[in-house]
Amino acid sequence: MAPLLSVEHVSKNFGALKVIDDLSLSLEAGEALGILGPNGAGKTTLFNLIAGDLAVGAGTISLADRDITGLPAYARCRLGIGRTYQIPHPFGNMTVFENVLAGAAFGATRREAESYERCVELMRLTNLLSKANQAAGKLTLLERKRLELARALATDPKILLLDEIAGGLTDTECQLLIETVRAVHASGVSIVWIEHIVHALIAVVGRLFVINFGQKLAEGDPRAVMDSPQVQEVYMGIEAE
Amino acid sequence: MSATAAPLPAFRIERSTRTSWIGLAVAAVAIVVLISLPWWGGEDDLRLIVEICYTIALAQLWNLLAGYAGLVSVGQQAFVGIGGYALFGLTIIAGVPPIPAVALAGAVAAILAVPTALIVFRLRGAYFAIGTWVVAEVFSEVTGLLPDLGAGTGMSLPVAVSRAVGETRFERETVLYYMGLVLGIGTVAAVFAWLRSRQGLALTAIRDSETAAGSIGVNNDRTKYAVYLLAALVTGMLGAVIYLEKLRISPDAAFDVIDWTADVIFIVVIGGIGSIEGPFIGALVFFGLRYFLADYGAWYMILLGAVAVVIMLLARRGLWGLLADRYDIHFFPVRRRVRLE
Repeated sequence: MAPLLSVEHVSKNFGALKVIDDLSLSLEAGEALGILGPNGAGKTTLFNLIAGDLAVGAGTISLADRDITGLPAYARCRLGIGRTYQIPHPFGNMTVFENVLAGAAFGATRREAESYERCVELMRLTNLLSKANQAAGKLTLLERKRLELARALATDPKILLLDEIAGGLTDTECQLLIETVRAVHASGVSIVWIEHIVHALIAVVGRLFVINFGQKLAEGDPRAVMDSPQVQEVYMGIEAE
Repeated sequence: MSATAAPLPAFRIERSTRTSWIGLAVAAVAIVVLISLPWWGGEDDLRLIVEICYTIALAQLWNLLAGYAGLVSVGQQAFVGIGGYALFGLTIIAGVPPIPAVALAGAVAAILAVPTALIVFRLRGAYFAIGTWVVAEVFSEVTGLLPDLGAGTGMSLPVAVSRAVGETRFERETVLYYMGLVLGIGTVAAVFAWLRSRQGLALTAIRDSETAAGSIGVNNDRTKYAVYLLAALVTGMLGAVIYLEKLRISPDAAFDVIDWTADVIFIVVIGGIGSIEGPFIGALVFFGLRYFLADYGAWYMILLGAVAVVIMLLARRGLWGLLADRYDIHFFPVRRRVRLE
């Protein structure tokens, strides 16, 4: 059976710059995959290609057996790809609740009234319940990141793409976030997580994929990957706990 | 973040607020007053109210396009003109009675909006704005080439068609008044119903972030397309009623960018873009300024421009934006609030 997500020989150029260069990656159902790489390695671009915010230059992207390379972002979301943005994109003049509700109403294509409970549950999970009626544009950066997570989960994703949601958290907050992501994973959602905070990543994912200059640098068991010489070289100065 | 499995707190979803009940009461009183106007108001009052009605309707539609769907059209005069000309064509050439002709004129505008959308939807931002204007000019030029519709100099509506609206002058004015009123109130009600619905959630999401709307499953293109077609349909009907009242049509007047689009943009921007209340406030300011300053000619236009510049600099979301930010009031309850019990 085909993997849940397969990215095959995908390339993307911005002008003369090769951001993603013949990259292949796959994700099995139920897996949690961590993506690591220096700034500018092409991690967020990879997410934009998978989620459909950008069109690939070459290659194919498939969800289970279905080729989704040509589908627009909204259709990929409805098929089960949920994502958070590294720089949060809240619906600023809508309330927190309405943000989450919009995800449930369109991504999961439920009837509106049937999604209320799920939205309240997700706001509680992300600790936003007390802010439910506040305009999302007035949230702090950390709250916006939690809203990204709640809104993406509201679309009932099969695969959740998390783009640096742990940055800027205190140790305690980070620990709580790890527990939340684990709970989401345990509920059956497959996860691809881009994160610079390596210990958070390793606490959740079963496999690491390291990108450098738009190409695969290393892949495999998290600790083995972190200990490998080429990763050590790229990550000189970044400590793997 | 807590990942507990405790039961959810009890909650309910509220759709109305205290100010929205006040809004509803005011609207109900206003509608009753307006319905009774022909019995106690003069002909000038009727004409003014009709003008305010169609101006607010045009403003609501432009606000839906630009304020929500991100479609900054400078070419809505295309559909006023098409509606007006469709009315003349349908009544004079096809012999359709004037009132059904108004509805058909809207349909004609919506049908012509389909190929128009195919062209302008390929453009984004400022190019879209210019594209819509160019398309409106093309419609104007083409209309000027139709000899049966008065070509470039325009034509008058035959007395027989006017008679079909009403036998006496009073009867005609009253019928036209109610048509304007129905279209005005109907447009506001339709915009309100749309924004309050599930589709309104999509439209509001697009207003705030197109990228994020796509990522949570909102079909942005289809939503925008639907807004564009609805705006064309209703603008076409409004154009038909406007020219049924004016009795004379010409390409220059019917496709005039100042009357049918620039004034409308002024109203929406001044009042507050991206809300239903904004166009009402803007229309109040616009008609107020005109009432007090219309005799000053060029100074009136200069002052209008100055007001627009000052408000755009000091209140980027318009006068309503200032009020709504400070007092959290909503006369049209389109939002959803969670009340934990």
